[in-house]
Amino acid sequence: MIQAILDAVSLGGVYALAALGLGLVFGVMRLVNFAHAELITVASYTLVMTHQFPLVVSIVLSVVVASLMALLMELLAYRRLRGSNPATMLIVSFGVSVLLQKIYELVFGALPRSASVATGLTGAFTVGGVSITTASVVTIVLAVVILLAMGYLIERTKLGLQLRAAASDFQTARLLGVRSNRLIASAFVISGALAAVVAFVNVVGNPQVDPRFGLDITILALVGIVVGGMNSLRGSALGGFIVGAVLSLLNVILGNGRVYAYSWMFVIVIVILLVRPGGILSKFATKERV
Amino acid sequence: MTTRLRLQELLGPILIVIAFSYVVGLQSAQGLLIVQSTLALFVMVLALHVFVGNSGVLSFGHGAFAMFGAFASGIVTTPSNIKENSLQLQNLYPFLVNLNLGMYPSLLLAIAAGALVAGLSGLLLMRLNGLAAGIATFALLGVAYNIFFYNNRIGPGSQALLALPPFQFLEEPVVLTVLVMLAVYLFGISRAGRTLRATREDPLAAPALGISITRVRWIAFTLSGAIAGLGGAMFAHVAGTVQVQDYYLPYTFMTLSMLIIGGSASLWGATVGTLLVTGIGQILLMMEQQKPILGIVVHLPNGTRAIVIALTLVVMLLWRSEGVTQGREFKIGMPKLKK
Repeated sequence: MIQAILDAVSLGGVYALAALGLGLVFGVMRLVNFAHAELITVASYTLVMTHQFPLVVSIVLSVVVASLMALLMELLAYRRLRGSNPATMLIVSFGVSVLLQKIYELVFGALPRSASVATGLTGAFTVGGVSITTASVVTIVLAVVILLAMGYLIERTKLGLQLRAAASDFQTARLLGVRSNRLIASAFVISGALAAVVAFVNVVGNPQVDPRFGLDITILALVGIVVGGMNSLRGSALGGFIVGAVLSLLNVILGNGRVYAYSWMFVIVIVILLVRPGGILSKFATKERV
Repeated sequence: MTTRLRLQELLGPILIVIAFSYVVGLQSAQGLLIVQSTLALFVMVLALHVFVGNSGVLSFGHGAFAMFGAFASGIVTTPSNIKENSLQLQNLYPFLVNLNLGMYPSLLLAIAAGALVAGLSGLLLMRLNGLAAGIATFALLGVAYNIFFYNNRIGPGSQALLALPPFQFLEEPVVLTVLVMLAVYLFGISRAGRTLRATREDPLAAPALGISITRVRWIAFTLSGAIAGLGGAMFAHVAGTVQVQDYYLPYTFMTLSMLIIGGSASLWGATVGTLLVTGIGQILLMMEQQKPILGIVVHLPNGTRAIVIALTLVVMLLWRSEGVTQGREFKIGMPKLKK
């Protein structure tokens, strides 16, 4: 039971990080970046390929690689689409996602690459007669630390103020002197770094990295940002957490019916959206112009 | 997009689709297969156009309607003796084992299945706007995929349904496609179609004129669900098999990309997008196989084709983000494309 709750919290935490990365980019340019999956994947490949290096070096490298790739996506593709129709941007990001998947396939092969990363984190320990996996505890601690750091960045720094302003009204933020190119670039870099954190947690749990490694978590995090409310970064993170935690709990509650966990989760998502179309944290009754 | 019947807007795309079908389809057995699968995908693109193009709301849920269409049509056309003897169909409901229909009744069943699922889910989903609507339709796709993947009472689960009857003549898919194009165009110029586009252009002004956004979207969603059911079933009969994975993300995004690359707002855009994406894929395939194109052999290293296709799609959308036709209808004396 305790393990089930810990698992739910840790999966929720991971999804919250992924959703926050997506939410940051969505906030500044109304882009649902499907290719966030490939940032997670490239960071995971980096971790696996550099497993012989000290762990810290390998983590730093994965953060750098994912952030650089996010920056490149922005410079080469998304920059030209600013202000386009969201549907077009989503399809372009999907194109970028497929493109990168195929490149990974060519470079790393279609079969999974694996290596044991951070072996110290696998295993379990016992507290008061209850066995708890180390990975779930580490994940929770890491997620809490990163979310707190992000909270500080967003609530207390100038960059954070600009990101929040841009997320709620990009045009007005620009009029008030926010430098859009720099802001958007930083949003992408931060989202790349968050993708690397998600990658680390995932690789520790499942070190079989293939070209589609980041896909599932990104899709669910996407659902999460809509559920939580895309117009605020808190909403995005909360939505991601809810999706992850609900999925994890459903897997326990449903028992033999757990193969249908996704269906139940999606039904819950539809119900939440019908009750609160703007997401759980939406404050305004404004309709988005579609 | 247009408001009244202009024959060239309807006949232009139809004649081009017919010309493509016969020119490529009569070349070789391989050409015939290419035409049939292109037409099946095109019907799906048309389904997306009816809803996405006219309403401006993105839908990922159409893969679900195609799935229902394909499985409905597939399960009734697979011969009973095969259903009794194949391992993956052991747990099938008995009435499904004994049910046998011909190709055309099964296609009608697929249309009905698509319309039913879209109509029922639309009652709820059409209340939503913007990306919330997009994600909710995605959730629908996720549920359909999840159920078909694991439920082996209604189908083969994660396995494939085999031995579906193919189309006998090239004329069959061509006629079906032309009928769908006609229906799509007539919907576009109908009162419901025009009203729906009004809600796309201004979702605040349209209700002020007494338009119910939910209602007109629901009509288009149901119609496009019916067409997607047909498209899914055609795709299944062309391939000869049905497998739930074939209708999931790659299928959804491939057809959505075709629509958006061509220009989602017009019949002509859907046509151009489908033919263009298919054409690029085929040319690259020929390059990879070192076949001459117009007498020239360009060699593409193995494994790079998929990369080039994805790259082309991205570059085309960056180049013209409203699609190649920019949502205009077909017109002789080609329109000026630049504003």
